[in-house]
This record gives sequence, structure tokens and C-alpha cells, in this order.
Amino acid sequence: MAQTIEQPRFTCALGSCQSVVAIKKGVPILHSGPGCGVQVERLIGQGEGYAGGSTMPCTNAEEADVVFGGEKKLRNVIENSFKVIDGDLYVVITGCTAAITGDDVAAVVGEFQNDDKPIVYVEEGGFKSNNYVSHSRLVKAIIDQYVDKFNEDREVIPKLVNVFANIPYQDPFWNGNLEQLKRILTGIGLKVNILFGNESEGVSEWKSIPQAEFNLFVGSWAGLDIVKHLKRKYGTPYLHFPYTPIGAKETSKFLREVGEFANLDKDEVEAYVDREEKKFYTHIDKMASFMLEFRYGIPRRFYSIADSSYSLGFSKFLLNELGIIPGIQFIVDDVPEKYQEGILEEFSKISDLQTRTVQVVFDPDAGLAQKKILEDAKDYSDKRLLILGSSWDKHIADELHADLLIISVPVQHRLVMNCGYLGYEGGLRAIEDIYDRVLATYR
Amino acid sequence: MRQVAIYGKGGIGKSTTTQNLTAGLAELGKKIMVVGCDPKADSTRLLLNGLAQKTVLDTLREEGEVDDLSQIEKVGFGGIRCVESGGPEPGVGCAGRGIITSIGMLEDLGAYTDDLDYVFYDVLGDVVCGGFAMPIREGKAQEIYIVASGEMMALYAANNICKGIQKYALKGGVRLGGIICNSRKVDREEELLREFAKELGSQLIYFVPRDNEVQRAEINKKTVIDHDPNHPQAKEYRKLAEAIENNTQFVIPKPMTQERLEEILVEFGLMESIKDNYHI
Repeated sequence: MAQTIEQPRFTCALGSCQSVVAIKKGVPILHSGPGCGVQVERLIGQGEGYAGGSTMPCTNAEEADVVFGGEKKLRNVIENSFKVIDGDLYVVITGCTAAITGDDVAAVVGEFQNDDKPIVYVEEGGFKSNNYVSHSRLVKAIIDQYVDKFNEDREVIPKLVNVFANIPYQDPFWNGNLEQLKRILTGIGLKVNILFGNESEGVSEWKSIPQAEFNLFVGSWAGLDIVKHLKRKYGTPYLHFPYTPIGAKETSKFLREVGEFANLDKDEVEAYVDREEKKFYTHIDKMASFMLEFRYGIPRRFYSIADSSYSLGFSKFLLNELGIIPGIQFIVDDVPEKYQEGILEEFSKISDLQTRTVQVVFDPDAGLAQKKILEDAKDYSDKRLLILGSSWDKHIADELHADLLIISVPVQHRLVMNCGYLGYEGGLRAIEDIYDRVLATYR
Repeated sequence: MRQVAIYGKGGIGKSTTTQNLTAGLAELGKKIMVVGCDPKADSTRLLLNGLAQKTVLDTLREEGEVDDLSQIEKVGFGGIRCVESGGPEPGVGCAGRGIITSIGMLEDLGAYTDDLDYVFYDVLGDVVCGGFAMPIREGKAQEIYIVASGEMMALYAANNICKGIQKYALKGGVRLGGIICNSRKVDREEELLREFAKELGSQLIYFVPRDNEVQRAEINKKTVIDHDPNHPQAKEYRKLAEAIENNTQFVIPKPMTQERLEEILVEFGLMESIKDNYHI
């Protein structure tokens, strides 16, 4: 039976256009109705980037394009996009209208591909899936239709790794997180194709995807298809680390796993981990006096309304490094059933010291999550609470006098530039941001 | 105003029947509009004596909008007003949406004037999607006639169309007025069609015999009544027109299961005779 989802915190399949925006000089070309792109950007974008938001070329398909087909218009928009936007990779993304009408987008894009233009297409009719799923479809399309052209005489480059992690823009801290990932993976001796964002070398990096020694997927499920596809296509092995590692303990564990998988020199990995941990805990040491002073006023329990990668990552970090107890975890990234068990399994291993159970709810209905948090919090009215959520959770945080750390979309109450919560530095940043809120209430 | 939609398998003779029938109704002094709902735009050729007219969608494509009915409407035999919806080239776009667009446009332009006795929708083949069901949605055609013959595929299609009619009949006012047989000279054809119609809960409203005069008239871009008013086939179409004019039996059809349909075909139709006459 049909059900209503209040406040879904993801978009339709067309949302994968943001993944193109995240590639340096990547240009999405939408073959969709007017406004589709802006709607996506409003929910999961912050800043237009090189060719995002209202800069995105779009066919603005209207009634005549439905009845007579929109191929001619699409060809025209592609031609002109090449003229006015200096891009390295153009990705045609079809929305609902063209998908239902059945425009032969493959043929239109094929004309440009035959002219050796860097262009691919992917059908992302909004009804096909959400953007967690469509992101993989898009990345696979780029690999199959473009990257693969450069795969002749492929030689594996030792220690080269392709990194796939949270979905750009759907994770508001994607850029900062990827910067951290590149920093620490380079730190243990790898060459890193980070593929999206500032630290990437852009399309030239994509071209060497088939040459990687292995692929790394950091996240619970959305994107796992990509590394599986690469294994089938090029036989590249992959390592799946099933959540976002935050803070020293988890990041060290992550690096050790990667080091072992990649057969890196153990001593080198340990030396790096040691250096990073020392740095990390020096800062924690400095914080001791603050912790003492505010020992009665810091959050004791937290709820999260977030995607599974963050929910797991933050739960492990907050419990084991800061002693903040995980309350109900509302996982809203519409996790397919086949992945839920694995996520629960990770939650069950959350503490090495004692058996601790975390209540986990898989439901994309964030409205329902808010209602349940308000109910559950009644039992903890003597404690300072922390909510990890989005701007849409501000009103319940206000009502509960809880601290709110916005970690998921939509992000309307904070500006995100290079902030990331992944890794050692990300962990410190998370501590700053969480306790900042405590200090902000200091009288 | 009676709004009538004509459905039936592709190539069964919907357009031919509709135009000959409406010519007969025009002779009875009725005011009629024929709306061709087929992307091929050949539903009014005989009424307009081959006069090619601009379709609603062509006008929309070329001029962006249609602001006057005279741009898309031509008057043909017996004062019948003719409109062609038109559609995209084969293989592209969405013809179903085209029909929705063009019927919507006719409404906006005020094509449905009070002086009309009949509006006929000549619809392409089967009710393949929502667009081709547009003429039978709420507020449009209230009566439907299915053109069929004794050939098996024509009956399969007719039964399938009844499923579409049933869906809309339960929500709105559309009813099946009957089956028109456009004879293919199949053995025991009339008997089979009568039984088929009965099984649907409807009637065989008229049996139009096969006659080459229909083809001769078509070559001359005319209906039979226009081409040779005294020909016996012209009388047949006049009788069909009278049957439609006097029809009072409007039902919600009861489409059959595949098995039942095949049973009827075996019982009354060709299958048995093929078996009997099978010689090596």
C-alpha cells in the first residue's frame, strides 16, 4: 500500500547531476522539465560550483517535446553547451519526461561520442530510484562510455587506489571528507584517485581508473555497486569499509585495514598512524580543563536522523571517544533490505568494553523520526541532548533545548566549505562543533 | 449532443466505417463533428474529398499555439466539421499525449458547440495507453462502438478494448453501444459476431457486408454515399446510421477471459471449419 513519507532527505534519480558538478570541470546537461535541476540543487546543493544549479544546461522539455519527442532540442542544447561551457566531461542526464516519452538519447549522444567528444549519457527518470541509487548508475555510465575508451594496453599502477565514498552533495561534507581521505591514504603510502572535489585532478584521474591496483569503498551501501562493477569489468579487487571513520580510533582501524589489504609496509602504516594519533590526542588533552568545567553541561545522549554511513561513524566516535551515549538512530537513506542486516551487525559491535545495544530504525520518514525523538526524550529530561540531523530538525532541537549539529541535507543554518568530519582532523572538527554549541549557551 | 468513440483493431476499417456512417447521419440532417485521433491523420479524407488539412498538433508545432478554430477545422460532406489531432512522426514522441493535448485544445477553443448532434472520435487501434483512452474519459464520449470482423485478432482486440471501456465505465458514464461488423467474408461471421457481442452483454448493432464499392469510393476520395448514392452499399451505411441514431442499448461490457473467447471462436467461428476442411 502507498504510504506517505514526510521530509524525505534525498532527491529523485535526477539528483545524480550533483555528482557531475562535483567532478572538476564536469558539466551536467539535463534533458528534463524546467525546474527539475533547481529543485535538486535547492535540497542537496549549497553553491552552484562550476556548472551546477541554475548554470546547468537544460532542455526545459515542455509539451511539444513530449508529443513530438525532444531529440532535436537535446541535440541543440548539447551543441551549444560545448560552445559556451568549457568542460572536460559532459554528462547528459534524462529526467522523467524524456524517459517516459522514450527519446533515443543514446543515439543523440552517440553522434557526439563518434566525434570523440567527452560526453556520456545516463537515464535518470526520477521514478527510477532515489539519488543514492542513481549516483552509482551515473558513475558506471562514465566508466563504461568514457573511461573505458582509455583502457587499451592497461597496465596496473602499483599502489594506485580509486576511492569511492559518500555521495557528493547528498553528504554536505563530501568535499572535506574526500580531502581528508586523500590526505590520510597518501600518508600511508598510496597514490589516490579521489575523483571528486578539490583534491582531485579531475577527468585525467578518471581515465586511470582501470589502472588502479584496488578500489576502496568507504560507506555503508550507496556506491558499493560501483566497485563491484569495476571488479567485474577490470577484475580490480575492492575493499569495503562500511561506515565513515571519524576520530582517531576509527581512522586508525580504517588505515590498518587498508594497509593490510594493499600489502603496504606495516611499519610505515604504524608510524603514520602513531603520528596522527599523537596529534589528535594532544588536542584532546588540551580540552581536559574545558571538560572538567562543563562536566554537568555537556551532552550525554544523542539522536541522529542521518544516513547509515554517518549514523554508524558518529555512533562509534561519540560513544568511544567522547562518552556520549547513542539514543535511537534514525537511518533515513532508504537502505535496501539486503544491506540492513550488515548495518545492524556493525552497530552490535559498537563497544569493545561492554555489550551495548543501539536502537536503530530504518525508515526514510524523518517526520516520524522527529515525533519519536520528542517522545523518547521525555525519559531524559535531566540530560543535555544532542541531535545530529538537518536544518529541518531545528524546531525539535529548540523544543528539547538540545544541541543540534547539522550533518545532513538540507543544510540551511550553516555554511559548508571544506569542513569534513572524516578522519583524525574531521574528528577534532566534530568535537569543536559539538562543544561549540555548549559554549554558545554559556552565560 | 451525443459523443461517440469508434475503436477497433488496426486496419479493421474504423475510419472508413466512421466516415460512411457519419455521411449517412448527415443525410438524416444531423450536425456532426469528426475528430480523428490517429497520428496518421487519415480519418477525414473521404469526408473532405482528400483535402489535406493541418492537424491540431502540426499547427501547435509550427505556430506554438492554436488561437482560432478555423486554423484546424474544415467542413466536409454534408456540413460535417472535420478535425485531425495528428501526432508525431512514427517512432518518436508520445502520440497518446498528443491526443490528450489536442482534445484539450479543442475544448479550449470551443469546438464543442451546442448545435452539434454528434461528435465522433475515430481512435487509433487499441486502448494502448492513457492517451488513447482520452476520448472515453469523464465528460467526453458516452457511447462507444467497436468495429470488428470474424477474424480472430479483431475479436481479441475488441475484447481487450472492452477491458478499457469497463475501467472507465465504472468511474464515469461511458457505455458500449454495440459491435459493428465490417465483414471480411469469413465463414459464419454474422453468427460469431452476434454470439461474441451477446457474451459481452452487448449487441451486434449492424452487419456491414463486404463490397468493392467501398474501395472504389475510397480511391475517389469519397464516401459511398457521396460517390454513388444509389449503390446498394450506400443503403447499408444509411441503415447503419439509422441503427446508431435509434440505438437505446448502452451497457457496461463484460470482457471475456482468453479461454472463453477461444471457446466461442471454436464453437461459432472459423476454427471448426478449418479443421473440417483441412485437406492435404
